Amino acid sequence: MSARDEILGRVRQGIGKADFAVRRAAAVAALNSPMRGPQPSMKADLVARFRAKAEYLSNTVAAVPGLDKAPAAVAAYLAASGLSGEAVATADVASLAWASAGLQVEARPAVDADKTGISSCFCAIAETGTLMLLSGPDSPATVSLLPETHIALLEVSRIVATMEDAFALLRAERGSLPRAVNFISGPSRTGDIEQTIVLGAHGPCRVHLILIGELS
Amino acid sequence: MALGKHSQAMHFQARAGEKIRNPVLQAALQKARPLFVGKRVKGIASLAEDALDFEQLRTAAKNIRNRTLADLDVWLDIFEARATASGAEVLWARDGAEVSRLVVDIARRHGVTKVAKSKSMLSEEAHLNEALAEAGIRPVETDLGEYIVQLAGETPSHIIAPAVHKTIAEVEALFAKEHGRPLETRTSADIPAMAREARAVLRQHFLSAEMGISGANFLIAETGSAALVTNEGNGRMVTTLPKIHVVITGIEKIVPTLEDLATLMRLLPRSATGQSISNYVSLLTGTKRKGDQDGPEKTVFILVDNGRANLLGSDYQDMLRCIRCGACMNHCPVYFSLGGHAYGWVYPGPMGSVLTPLYTGLENALDLPHASTGCNQCGSVCPVAIPLPDLMHRLREEQHERGLRPWSERLALKAWAWIAGKPALYRWLARRVVRYLNWLADGSGRIRILGLAPAWTAGRDLPVSSSRTFHELYSARKKP
Repeated sequence: MSARDEILGRVRQGIGKADFAVRRAAAVAALNSPMRGPQPSMKADLVARFRAKAEYLSNTVAAVPGLDKAPAAVAAYLAASGLSGEAVATADVASLAWASAGLQVEARPAVDADKTGISSCFCAIAETGTLMLLSGPDSPATVSLLPETHIALLEVSRIVATMEDAFALLRAERGSLPRAVNFISGPSRTGDIEQTIVLGAHGPCRVHLILIGELS
Repeated sequence: MALGKHSQAMHFQARAGEKIRNPVLQAALQKARPLFVGKRVKGIASLAEDALDFEQLRTAAKNIRNRTLADLDVWLDIFEARATASGAEVLWARDGAEVSRLVVDIARRHGVTKVAKSKSMLSEEAHLNEALAEAGIRPVETDLGEYIVQLAGETPSHIIAPAVHKTIAEVEALFAKEHGRPLETRTSADIPAMAREARAVLRQHFLSAEMGISGANFLIAETGSAALVTNEGNGRMVTTLPKIHVVITGIEKIVPTLEDLATLMRLLPRSATGQSISNYVSLLTGTKRKGDQDGPEKTVFILVDNGRANLLGSDYQDMLRCIRCGACMNHCPVYFSLGGHAYGWVYPGPMGSVLTPLYTGLENALDLPHASTGCNQCGSVCPVAIPLPDLMHRLREEQHERGLRPWSERLALKAWAWIAGKPALYRWLARRVVRYLNWLADGSGRIRILGLAPAWTAGRDLPVSSSRTFHELYSARKKP
């Protein structure tokens, strides 16, 4: 007997139920109307809440009124942090006027030598201050992973309340999941040496967010 | 039995004695304990900020896990179908040896010489690193704690903080040796530099490994995805950079929907580290898509039984709800007296005291169900409400039913039952025992050496009882 049949046989014996086809059909039907668990009720407006939580997670945050102002904000951040003006970016933000802000930005997957990665976000979650990024031809996952500094451009209109809302948006706009959905909540960290928290474990040491749009 | 092969759980008492007398370990544990407890308190308290209630959330989480387990065959079948449809391959393994065989086989077929591993407790169950090394393939642990433990030639002593038993000086000695540099004197101010050093070394491994291996915190049936929760980002690295990604996970790790994942994610990081969310939560579905410029070309799920299916429908099914947060051990007085290695197998603390006997054989872990003070701190913090002390009690009962307790204990219980059935004899004997204990205490209120059972007083005194038996006191009180 194959390992699969043996294991599933043992599982079936343990749960003591027959009628597999009926139960499977019921389960598939249940997947079409997913139920939410207890939901948070948040006081502050979503943008303010997102910003406060993101800062608590050790992100730094700047805000600009429109996407066209993003390159200057990125240049200002890099200069203030003493970082070079060379960066790798996801293709979906590569068309911004980076050169006029004095930056050399290349659209491609990141490599080890890249110091700064600039990415878009699919959306963000106010409850926890979390970014949601989707992998894809125009948004390689390495850009937000390999460089020491990750700069994320986030339209404030894309801030939703909860992870459930983010999934609802994903289902509505994309239908299916990309290879990787990455929820990112601040710079990478470790506490594995004597429980002392260090920022910058394997992923970025710094995450800087540029909020784009009218702030209330 | 092959499962029991590597287990040291039968040596619990001897190891416990060793661990208690190890001052370096004791210092490490005493430093960690308040941090673990304090962080969770803060994390759970943050729920109130949004009018969320821990009990309500954990009931929801418990229901999700119970609902999944009740139709586990169905959810596994749906997961398999959807994972396959998204381009992944799904394999099944009856036990740890089969996991190792499958992984080594995949590695050989693809000419893999090095594997970068993100933390997977199931690969510890399977002794996968040994199997890979025997096959000439180098396994590199990339979670910082796991890396430290691997350099030391040890196993993790905690499921989320594998190197919690190591002091900074021990870590420095390991790094100096492995990284080929002179030993330095380190203080806690040097921890960032040490983490950075490990980052640089491990980065090269991420870039050169041909295969990445991870566990999965959850499998999502709806989408056929693995959910991976990490803080360091090593989980993202091993699932993005190598050309092959192998996910090794237990069959019980399934949840039906993304909404279910969202509910569990409000509890898992808070229970583990007190964080409202971990730094990285990744949902991995299928392989590199058309047009994608990064990501693995091949993704393989290995769904592992290794004793899990036998728990379904048994008195221990509740244990399969476990989401591996570590809160039970973080709140266990036994764990923090001994550390994780005393438990002798993969899982320490209360969850280990239940799982080790169940997965490796009750007869191979006789002491573990007794490694409890019965305080139920583990049960009260468990985010999926597993009644851990009840399960340990049930294991003790089963030990007795199967005649696995030592002859002296069985004889003593038989003798007690016989005496307790004869009230006159019982009262006469109880009076003698109480007088004897008071004579031993000699007016000091405590017994330093208990003649009949000296082990009880080897490391502590026994407070003496009243000088009269309960019956004597009761009769005296009844008289006006």
